[in-house]
Amino acid sequence: MAATRAESRAREIFTTLEYGPVPESHACVLAWLDTQDRCLGHYVDGKWLKPEHRDSLPCQDPVTGEHLASCLQAQPEDVAAAAEAARTALESWSGLPGASRAQHLTRLAKMIQKHQRLLWTLESLVTGRAVREVRDRDIPLALQLLQYHAIQAHSQEEALAGWEPMGVVGLILPPTFSLLEMMWRICPALAVGCTVVVLVPPASPTPLLLAQLAGELGPFPGILNVLSGPTSLVPVLAGQPGVQKVAFCGSVEEGRVLQRTLAGVGPELGLALGAESLLLLTEAADVDSAVEGVVDAAWSDRSPGGLRLLVQESVWEETMRRLQARMERLRGGRGLDGAVDMGTRGAAARDLAQHYVREAQSQGAQVFQAGDVPSDSPFFPPTLVSDLPPAAPGTQAEVPWPVVVASPFRTAKEALAMANGTPRGGSASVWSERLGQALELGYGLQVGTVWVNAHGLRDPAVPTGGCRESGSSRHGGLDGLYEYLRPSGTPARLPYRSENLNYETFGLAVPSTLPAGPETGPSPAPPYGLFVAGRFQAPGARSSRPIQDSQGKLHGYVAEGGAKDVRGAVEAAHQAAPGWVGQSPGARAALLWALAAALERREPTLALRLERHGVEPKAAKAEVKLSVRRLRDWGARAQAQNHSLQVAELRGPVLRLREPLGVLGVVCPDERPLLAFMSLLAPTLALGNTVVLVPSRTCPIPALDVCQDMATLLPAGVVNVVTGDQDHLARCLALHQDVQALWYFGSAQGSQFSEWASAGNLKPVWVSRGCPRAWEQEAAGAGPELELRAARTKALWLPMGD
Amino acid sequence: MSARNPGTELDLSWISKVQVNQPAVLRRAEQIQARRTVKKEWQAAWLLKAVTFIDLTTLSGDDTYSNVKRLCYKAKYPIREDLLKALNMHDKGITTAAVCVYPARVSDAVKALKASGCDIPVASVATGFPSGQTHLKTRLEEIKLAVEDGATEIDVVINRTLVLTGQWEGSDFIKTSTGKETVNATFPVAIVMLRAIRDFFWKTGNKIGFKPAGGIRTAKDSLAWLSLVKEELGDEWLKPELFRIGASALLLDIERQIYHHVTGRYAAYRDLPMS
Repeated sequence: MAATRAESRAREIFTTLEYGPVPESHACVLAWLDTQDRCLGHYVDGKWLKPEHRDSLPCQDPVTGEHLASCLQAQPEDVAAAAEAARTALESWSGLPGASRAQHLTRLAKMIQKHQRLLWTLESLVTGRAVREVRDRDIPLALQLLQYHAIQAHSQEEALAGWEPMGVVGLILPPTFSLLEMMWRICPALAVGCTVVVLVPPASPTPLLLAQLAGELGPFPGILNVLSGPTSLVPVLAGQPGVQKVAFCGSVEEGRVLQRTLAGVGPELGLALGAESLLLLTEAADVDSAVEGVVDAAWSDRSPGGLRLLVQESVWEETMRRLQARMERLRGGRGLDGAVDMGTRGAAARDLAQHYVREAQSQGAQVFQAGDVPSDSPFFPPTLVSDLPPAAPGTQAEVPWPVVVASPFRTAKEALAMANGTPRGGSASVWSERLGQALELGYGLQVGTVWVNAHGLRDPAVPTGGCRESGSSRHGGLDGLYEYLRPSGTPARLPYRSENLNYETFGLAVPSTLPAGPETGPSPAPPYGLFVAGRFQAPGARSSRPIQDSQGKLHGYVAEGGAKDVRGAVEAAHQAAPGWVGQSPGARAALLWALAAALERREPTLALRLERHGVEPKAAKAEVKLSVRRLRDWGARAQAQNHSLQVAELRGPVLRLREPLGVLGVVCPDERPLLAFMSLLAPTLALGNTVVLVPSRTCPIPALDVCQDMATLLPAGVVNVVTGDQDHLARCLALHQDVQALWYFGSAQGSQFSEWASAGNLKPVWVSRGCPRAWEQEAAGAGPELELRAARTKALWLPMGD
Repeated sequence: MSARNPGTELDLSWISKVQVNQPAVLRRAEQIQARRTVKKEWQAAWLLKAVTFIDLTTLSGDDTYSNVKRLCYKAKYPIREDLLKALNMHDKGITTAAVCVYPARVSDAVKALKASGCDIPVASVATGFPSGQTHLKTRLEEIKLAVEDGATEIDVVINRTLVLTGQWEGSDFIKTSTGKETVNATFPVAIVMLRAIRDFFWKTGNKIGFKPAGGIRTAKDSLAWLSLVKEELGDEWLKPELFRIGASALLLDIERQIYHHVTGRYAAYRDLPMS
């Protein structure tokens, strides 16, 4: 009888009322691994791939060290095989009607449902995360993701007309949260018709199991291929023919290195970096509930990273007391125990946390640790760090799991300054019962997701992502779909990398220019100078460059801008930004329309200028007319940007806000000098950005003409135009840490450099790769692609209740 | 039970400062139920503990001496002796915390308990239970009579007219509801009450007890309530002086679970003595 074993324990427990272990068996995992003879290869084209002569790494239970299986590590030829399979599958998969793809995704959801115990046990066993979290949250969310994206696929032909799947997508996953991170990305990619090659870190078997479940569904085996291997294979994957997009999920530094490595390689890079989150607790908050928010954000197995906690000074003591009391009740232990809050993330994560805490202590911080957590490795207790001096290195560094770094603030304004004072911009929550204050903070935080009075809520319909160094890729919602789509008819992205390009010297020096004879231009003479902060200014270098017309005659001199001029222009743009963002879309539209009218009045002059550069008179007129239209169209589109979403399990709306990127650097192409300038300028302004433009290299004068109108119509600094050597100016903009995005339309080398140099602050970068663009066409010149790129999405969650 | 709460000056600024975010509390309520489970011998021990928190209650219009007597007997012997022996818990004196009856049945209960030779306290609902909508004078008289009959604990229905108009009363114990409402003991409400108890303790050093009542029928429910109190207030509140569960059907379900734990078989109702 059970009781004979239990009797003595029961007496003791009756007195202490302690919790006991609630172990879950992992027999199903061992049985599955046995089907593979405890050796996991890769899953490619619907089959297990186990090539010979490969290194293998052990997959272990992080707590007991039990050897579970050995995992073969991929070599470049395995990557090639997987990419080949995905390329072959792409033809049939992308050609299917969306409704058929929807059916396939639904079948996958059913397949997962049938084998969910195996999935959650495996994920919890190898990652060490609490099984309750995997079972009750990850698996249901994975199923919701498939369902949501099946619906999107079903209506793709109508809802996403004008877009086509990019092609083969390479996906690189982190070791923790690999199952969910994978689902967030493969669901939209597969839904829109892309096929996927996933590269998972060594010894992460859950994605392999998922691929096997998908492969066993039959007719489209190659749509999802999973390789196990180190991140050093990413350039190999990115360089495979047909790979059009690389989606990377990992640390900030890895992302930065990857952006530099992949400059010019071809595929578009989508980055989702870092794991830290932020919680802002005001004096008007329900403090106990906010403390639960902290638990959700850092001391549960729900969130991947640590937490920066900002607490209003007036409730600091109260909050600390409640936090510490709450920490005492946290339970850690083996992930496969059904009653723990926190499992372990393995020895590496423990060492990282340990290191951070020691550093903080040595910098004078207070460290509080509590909770019922095993004291041996690989466990680490919930940790609260306070009194970390603002200037200490630890204040700027990313906070690791499971650490919370608390700092006090005095006013909401100061809280915003502190919150926005790091390079990261992932997710944040605001705790306040005052609606006005919560919205003020929610709008002001420079992050991808804001929850009001909640933390860590997710839904497939809500776009999630970051900004700044957290990377600008989005998943979920419509934004997540666009990550894997391109405007129909866009040529495939091919490698354009030049191995000779010297990043250290590219565009460093400005070739000296000499007087080239008297100006013979038509009157009126074009304005001279750089258009910065609303007026024409002499360039810092006090030198000029001659502009020739199509006959090779001197048309005029333009100012030779340099690094200091770019610095001044960026500063002016920053100063103008708050005012410009603060304008209503209607007011911005009115100004764009006024500018359009002014342009119309200048039509004869502008047409003559273009004619001198070899444009036919009729075409020149048409270019001016189309430029006018671009301004009017974008003015009209400025109106409707934000909308609200309704999601399951939440009473209240989620707002999808389209926010400006900030200060945008734009290098304009040579072709269509006026139209391209206007086609790029209009959407950036309409969506609330301020901008530093480098006009066409060969024909900058029409742009300067327009600056005369902008000087009178637009607030100073909203638009700044810097003429000069394009390579040099592109270099200055790309390396500028306070330029929030860069669009480069110019040479292949300049494109490659821009991609490489933008890694400094991880600004979103859009380059032409040396290809001209059909600016006169609606899709290329004024299509939704520009709208997507000119703003970023923020999701603002507003739960309601009385 | 002797009075513990000496009371404090009424300071309404405490109440006006309280912030409760309903959706966040609802989420917490869901989480507590999902995050804590106890199994095997832990479950058995917790369930026996839960028995000691029960105010075994009968509040029916047709209560008579005979069913009150049966209730009192069940309060003294809540779990079959052989089951307790199997767990080696037969010498722990496990009884329910109290029996709870209408004022008119207090003397019956006192008599029955005395006859069976045990000192389980008798609690009574008084003061115009369950609405409280009678005159103060009759309500006070009701309490006085119940105490004279031998009740040592009184569940007072507060005058909700006064509460809703911002005029508060003090107490030693707070109870979620009468058990006679359409919605009774719910987790979200309990969380708010428990946090208020903790805040009051932090401010004054006085421990106020907590009694959920109404709708707690299964052993699983009772475990969730125990872990809720453990999580929000701590182990020091897990004793009959500070925590009670008002219930009638719950005890039988707990006994069935213990039966299953001991024997490995599910019990039929006839296997266990009725109350």
